[in-house]
Amino acid sequence: MLQSERKSLRRFLALYGLLMLGIFSLLAYGYYRSQEEVMLTRYKSRMIDYAADQIRRLRQLHEKFPEERRYPRDSRFRSAIYDLEYVQIFSTLRDNRVDFLHDIYRSGGMIHYVKLLDSYYLGAKYLFIEVPEDREWSLRILGHIALAGVVLGVLLALLGYYLARLFVRPMRRSIELLDNFVQDTTHELNTPLGAILGNIEMIDSSRLGEKDRRRFERIAVAARTVSTLYEDLKFLTLERHRPTEDRRFDMAELIRERLEYFDVLFRSKNLTVHTDLQRAYLYADTRLMARVVDNLLSNAVKYNRPGKSVTVTLRPGRLVIADEGVGMAPEEVEEIFERYRRFNESEGGFGLGLDIVKRIAEHYGMQIRIESRKGEGTAVIITWKEGS
Amino acid sequence: MRRKLYIWLAAGLFVSGGSFDTHCVSCHRSTGVSLRDTFMNALLVYSGEQNMKAGLKYFLKHPSIETSVMPREYFQTHPLKAPTTLSDEELDEALSEYWERYKVIGRLQ
Repeated sequence: MLQSERKSLRRFLALYGLLMLGIFSLLAYGYYRSQEEVMLTRYKSRMIDYAADQIRRLRQLHEKFPEERRYPRDSRFRSAIYDLEYVQIFSTLRDNRVDFLHDIYRSGGMIHYVKLLDSYYLGAKYLFIEVPEDREWSLRILGHIALAGVVLGVLLALLGYYLARLFVRPMRRSIELLDNFVQDTTHELNTPLGAILGNIEMIDSSRLGEKDRRRFERIAVAARTVSTLYEDLKFLTLERHRPTEDRRFDMAELIRERLEYFDVLFRSKNLTVHTDLQRAYLYADTRLMARVVDNLLSNAVKYNRPGKSVTVTLRPGRLVIADEGVGMAPEEVEEIFERYRRFNESEGGFGLGLDIVKRIAEHYGMQIRIESRKGEGTAVIITWKEGS
Repeated sequence: MRRKLYIWLAAGLFVSGGSFDTHCVSCHRSTGVSLRDTFMNALLVYSGEQNMKAGLKYFLKHPSIETSVMPREYFQTHPLKAPTTLSDEELDEALSEYWERYKVIGRLQ
């Protein structure tokens, strides 16, 4: 799966997850509130009886006040009375955060029922009855919600996976279409390119005049560029699934050979090549490693500035190919291994090179790191376990 | 001189008493109508302090059987009182004293 596909998928799944979480939270909240309502209704009928008993006692106290001053208490509940102006007259409540707007509600582990008095005994308009809340119902409801969350979560995850596949299908189709196009083009390029390269090899440039020799070199540069591209396309479309022919070889030799092949390209841009190559043996397919070196050298030429340099350093377990070209911003570096991604749009190519480098490096367990600074240049560093 | 003035002022205040004692207690004592009973009746109707003071003030200025806190039967044996001649300030002072003296808030145990 391409990185852009993964990114789109991640974004879609994050959005989907958030949306589902929001919907589930709303449903869970609605369920919790409805169950709370049911529980409070059960309490209410009992508390109405308590309130009637307390009002009767308040009436008796009202008639006997001030000779009798003891506020009536009941072991089954606590209570408080407030006047019309919400001033507390007396309270035995454990939680005195009273709410005059609801007739029954939960507060600090207690349930409060509010009764409005018709006759204001002792000046009381509001009678609050308080009983301790049964915590079990709350745990039971939360258990139901958690269970529903798990079941729904699994179902929604499956649905999300299905939707995600639908979501990336158009993108995948576009990629497949492009791959098919590239495959067909590669097939058609084979014969004419072979003819061009064969004929270039046969021409002895030393026998040409200065003007013709330059023209010939330009043709050779163009032909090698097309050849590199052709090899990339061939690798991606036709040879990717071919079994590798691994053998032990000296990477320095391979690099020297490829530098010679690219010499005409370096000269075309007046680039100086600095090499510092030590012997570094690898057990790999030389054809694939040539693709890696070719692509890195090709990029070092393509994105370099005329008259600058390319530096190739090889140590056992480490290859660095650096240029003094346009460089990249950090966010560009992150996406550079995407297929069909180019360093910048002004240069040609299909943007296949680094995708191929990455695939081959991954196949042999190599690590690739890119160090780049906008306007200063780029260094591609490939490391591998020595002796692999 | 100043000392004498203070003594006369203190004596004057002591003799005159508050607005409630002067204008309410003396009259109710003579008619035999308990001020506590009327307070508890008012509490049944008005509940809160401000509401009670406003209700009683209106009744004292415009007495009627309908706005009285006493039961209708009461007026079979007692005449309806005459409208008060006290000023608003005097009425407010008397009603505040009345509330403080008989209020239930802070007196329950």
